[in-house]
Amino acid sequence: MAGGEKNGRPVNFWPGWYAMLTYVAMVAALWCIFVYAPTEKAQGIVQRIFYFHVSSAMTMFVAFFAVFVASIIYLWKHADWWDQTAMSAAELGVLFCTLVLITGPIWGRPIWGVWWTWDPTLTLTLVLWLIYVAYLMLRADATDPRRARFAAILGIVGFIDVPLIRWSIEKWRNLHPDPVIVQSGGTTGLPPAMMLTFLVSLTAFLLLFVFLLRQRMAIARRRHELEVLRYKVDEALFG
Amino acid sequence: MSVNGAFMRQAGAILAKDLKTEWRAREVFTSMFVFTVLVVVVFQFTIGSNPALIREVAAGVLWVALLFATVIGLQRAVQMEGEEDCLQGVLLAVQDRSALFLAKALANMIYLLVVAGCILPLFALWFRVDLTASLPDLGVILALGIVGLSVLGTLFSLIVLNIRMREVMLPLLFLPVSVPLLIASVYATGDLIDGKTLADIRDYVILITVFDVVFLVLAVLIFDYVVEE
Repeated sequence: MAGGEKNGRPVNFWPGWYAMLTYVAMVAALWCIFVYAPTEKAQGIVQRIFYFHVSSAMTMFVAFFAVFVASIIYLWKHADWWDQTAMSAAELGVLFCTLVLITGPIWGRPIWGVWWTWDPTLTLTLVLWLIYVAYLMLRADATDPRRARFAAILGIVGFIDVPLIRWSIEKWRNLHPDPVIVQSGGTTGLPPAMMLTFLVSLTAFLLLFVFLLRQRMAIARRRHELEVLRYKVDEALFG
Repeated sequence: MSVNGAFMRQAGAILAKDLKTEWRAREVFTSMFVFTVLVVVVFQFTIGSNPALIREVAAGVLWVALLFATVIGLQRAVQMEGEEDCLQGVLLAVQDRSALFLAKALANMIYLLVVAGCILPLFALWFRVDLTASLPDLGVILALGIVGLSVLGTLFSLIVLNIRMREVMLPLLFLPVSVPLLIASVYATGDLIDGKTLADIRDYVILITVFDVVFLVLAVLIFDYVVEE
C-alpha cells in the first residue's frame, strides 16, 4: 500500500513537499493566531487559545473516527495495514485529546473562574481520554497475537459509545459555550478575520495529524517486519 | 446469528451448566454480594451523618456498588473459564458462538438481579429511603440497567480472558464505556426515590434501552472475532 522497496531499501513515501506544506501551514497558523487575528473584546488575549483548543478537539475526533473506520476494515479484511492505522491514529488521538484537556482549563480559569467544571463537552473529552488510554494499554499489554482483534473491537465499541456519552452527560449538566463556528441556520458567530485564522490553524493541525500518522505507521510497519524476521530466524535456528 | 431452536437450546444448555456450577459452589454470587454490601457500608462512612446528603447520594452509591459487583462477578467467572481451558471445550461444542455469549451474559444478569434483590432491603434500611411505593418502577430501571452492565461486561470479560493483566484491564476497559449507562441509571433511580414515576423519567428509560440494544446487537455481531482462533 504505502511506501515500497527500491533495491531492498525502503523508499520514503513522504515526498519532501508534504513535510514542507505542513511546516508552512503551521507557521502561517502561528502568524495568524498571534499577529493577524484581532483580540477579542470581552475575553482579551486568552481567547487566542481557542484556535489551538478547537483545532485539537476536531483533530482528536478525526483521529478517533479513523480508529473506528480502520478497526472495522481490519476485522473485515485482516490486513495488518489497517491495524497499524488504527493503533497510530489512537495514539495521536490521545495526544490531541491531552492537548484539548490542557488548553481547556488554561482558558477556563480566567473566563469561568475555575480550572475544571463537569460540563458535557469537558466530561466527554475526559471519558474519551480514559477509553482510548485503556485502548493503548490493551495493545501494550497483550502479548497475544489476537491483541489486534481485541483492540479493533474496543476501537468500534469506544466510538459507538461517543453519542451515548454525549447524550447522557447533556442530560446531566451544561455550561460549555455554544458552538460559535457554525450556528443554527448555517451562519457563523465568528468575525471573518477570526474565522480565517481558525480555518488556517485547523488545516495546520490536520496536516500535522496526517504527517504524524504516516510517520507512526512507518515505525509500526518496521516493527512488524522485525518481528517477522525474528520469527524466521528462530524457525531457521531451532526449527 | 440465527435465532432458531438449536441456537436457543445451546444457549440454554450453557446457561443451565453455569447456573448449576454456581448453585453448587455459590462462589460468584457470594463474592458479588459481600462486595456490594461492603461498598454500601464503606460509602456510609465517607458521607457522614447528614440525612439530606445521604439521601442525595443514595442512588449513586447503589449503582456504583452494582457496577463494581459486575466487575467482581465477571472476574471470578472468567477465572473459572480460564482453568483447564473450559471455554475452548464449550466453543468446540456450539454451532453458533453467539449462543455462548448470550448464555454468559444471561448468567451474569441473573447473578446481578439476585444481588440487587438482596441488597435493596439493606440499602433502604441504611440509607433511610422508603422504596415500597416506587418498587415496581425501580425494578424496571434495575433490570434495564443490569442488562446493559451484563452485555458490556461479558463482552469485555471474554476479551481480557487471554490477557496477562486481566484483573486490571477489565475495569479499565469496562468502566469508561459504561459511563452513559451509569449516569442515566443513577439519575433515574434518584428521581424514583424522590417520588417520580417512570413516565416522568422517560428520557432516561429511553437512553438506557438504547444503550442496551446498541451494545447487545454490536456484541452479537462482533463476538465471533473475540473467540476466533
